[in-house]
Amino acid sequence: MTRPVPAFALTLAALVALALALPFLVNRGLVFLAGLVAINAVLGLSFNLLFSTAGLLSFGQAAFSAAGAYAAALLLLRLPEVPFLAALAASALAGAGLAVAIGLVALRRTEGVYFAVLTLAFSELVHVVLAKTSLFGRNDGLTGIPRPRLSYGLGSVDLAVGDRYYVLVILVTAATAAALWWVTRSRLGRAFRAIRLDAMRAAYLGIDVRRRRLQAFAIAGAATGLAGALAAPLTSIVSPDLAHWGESTKPILFTLLGGAGVFWGPAVGAVVYAAVEYATRSLAGASDLITGALLLAVVLAVPGGILGSALRLARRGRARPAPRAAPAPAPAGGAP
Amino acid sequence: MISRRTLLAGGAGTALALSARPRIVVGQTNEPIRLGVITPLSGLQEFIGSFVRNGAEVAAQMINKAGGVDGRPIVLEVRDEKANPAAATTVARELLGNGITLQLGTISSTVALAYGPLMQAENGINLTCGAGTEKINHENYNPHVFRIGDGTYRMRAQARLMAERFPAVTSWTGIIPDHEYGRTVWAVFVDGLLEFYPAVAGKPPTIIDPIIVPYGSGDYRNFITQAVRTPARGIVNATYGGDAATFFQQARPYGLFRERVLMDAANEFIVANALKDQVPKHWTGSHWYYAGNSSALSRAFAEAYAARTGEAMPMGWAGEAQAAVSAYAAAIAKARSTETPAVIAALKDLTWDTVTGPRTMRREDNQAVKDLEMIQLEPDPGAARGFKVSDYVRVEGAGVIEPPTPGRKMSLRAPA
Repeated sequence: MTRPVPAFALTLAALVALALALPFLVNRGLVFLAGLVAINAVLGLSFNLLFSTAGLLSFGQAAFSAAGAYAAALLLLRLPEVPFLAALAASALAGAGLAVAIGLVALRRTEGVYFAVLTLAFSELVHVVLAKTSLFGRNDGLTGIPRPRLSYGLGSVDLAVGDRYYVLVILVTAATAAALWWVTRSRLGRAFRAIRLDAMRAAYLGIDVRRRRLQAFAIAGAATGLAGALAAPLTSIVSPDLAHWGESTKPILFTLLGGAGVFWGPAVGAVVYAAVEYATRSLAGASDLITGALLLAVVLAVPGGILGSALRLARRGRARPAPRAAPAPAPAGGAP
Repeated sequence: MISRRTLLAGGAGTALALSARPRIVVGQTNEPIRLGVITPLSGLQEFIGSFVRNGAEVAAQMINKAGGVDGRPIVLEVRDEKANPAAATTVARELLGNGITLQLGTISSTVALAYGPLMQAENGINLTCGAGTEKINHENYNPHVFRIGDGTYRMRAQARLMAERFPAVTSWTGIIPDHEYGRTVWAVFVDGLLEFYPAVAGKPPTIIDPIIVPYGSGDYRNFITQAVRTPARGIVNATYGGDAATFFQQARPYGLFRERVLMDAANEFIVANALKDQVPKHWTGSHWYYAGNSSALSRAFAEAYAARTGEAMPMGWAGEAQAAVSAYAAAIAKARSTETPAVIAALKDLTWDTVTGPRTMRREDNQAVKDLEMIQLEPDPGAARGFKVSDYVRVEGAGVIEPPTPGRKMSLRAPA
């Protein structure tokens, strides 16, 4: 049997190695898109922490990525002397803080679909606030966000040069994925799963359900905010569209596409989504229609998601030589 | 069987052959010139973007039919920016990464402002095809972004026309969407009113605070009732596309435009096409009015456009795309290069022929100087489309353009 930590570490190392090799294999346009895919993968993974591990369906994740993106943009534009790693930490805090603020209200009396609708409403509120506030550039957003300089003890690295910023994006997204995986495997993650399976029984066993749900919401908010912060200097622009409900649907789509029951499912979903978008990029106007139809077909035809179904098929294939062996059920949100 | 020696020799030979620049073999003169067209082809601004795309395609087709640029054909790579600034920068980067550094088609002010640092960092060029903000050639001036069309000064020309045609209408307000373009339209129109009413009509205008409306709203009735109460006798409208059509339609029962002069910033036929004989009589700015330009190039372009798209009444954004493609063609022919620094140098002070006549790219701030066009539309139930163009005015651009101040804010008159 494969031990989970080495399997996860090996998968992550292989993905990072592949991502870092990309600049040597493809043009800069594709490298840029790969950076966006890595960020989208974190958005999907953090959504899945809520959805598959803690059993919370949020329709408002875009609010947290927008909070992180605007925090990073404001710090880079207005306070460029703030070290970028500190700006990233502040952006994660912004995402977590907003999640706690929304969670305190939304988790107070609601769950299930009511909770989902409340998160959507709060996200739209954030969208309106961003579009109406001069500090955030109103409807136009903030443009010309520079790629930062990373300072350390003896010197500094200009991330605007070549593919350096892309390398940073890959390293930070990998570290975030590892942190999310650790949370799902930790005692905290087990508490989240217990609540998802039966909140009343979990409470009876002494788990503070509301507090744990708020913690899950805050952790996902922090990771989502961090992803948003990474995107701001990559695209050099932030606008209220980042908090639009359409952006909130993307991590849901990545998760359904890749597979909600598998840790790497949303990451696979993000890659497939980007591949379909890229393949249809020159079919201007029809691109969204084709992308939507293809994704709908996959989600309907492959209920467990691409990775979930692939793993199930692989397991079935392995089980064939010894048909008497019972297949081991995959722990939700746990398999690497 | 291939020996190891043969394999090594073959490999070395292949490596040597590949190390030679393939251009030398195929000949540089036949290599296509690839231009990136990034414009909204879905979403709220698709109705403008489709004119940009079709205009660019017709312009490239005409240039290629005439032999290309020094024998090199123009090939367009079209991308949908979905009226979303982040999506626009994403596709721009994707094209830059694929070596397509010469781009055009931006109509959004926000996107055009975002492109400056991006193009500079990635060694690209963007020619905007309708972005209206004054910041492009003033405080946010960037040597890698050029406005090939009428920019800020179009609203000054429209203010001058109002002073000339309606000297008695001295009180003005605006219907202004809450974004960069809307604020620019209002600020520059007011600047023009404050300059031209005293000079032309001999009276100072009264400026009444504009009504700021949300972007993309489906219900403007609260704002319309607010506007109906205004004492202003003249209204400038900066909402556009579906927003403008909705606003005008909802304003009909209130009689907002019945006794007032309406100057629309630049919807051209968009509102009239939507409302047909319900459209209020109004003036609107046009980047290129096909029937008002009688040059051979304009007529040929309008005919080719109609043949390709079936649209007999093309709108001005198609003309802006023609101007952008032909600006690249002229600059590349002048520079004899498609390298970014050479094309930038060639674009500066370039005078080139377009569907609206010759334009000159001002060296200091990358702003084209061109004549401004305005048309008056009014309902005509007997016309095929339910409206007609009842007047056309052309104002010389050099007479109304503001002085170049790249890197500095544009100096605008403001009411006391």
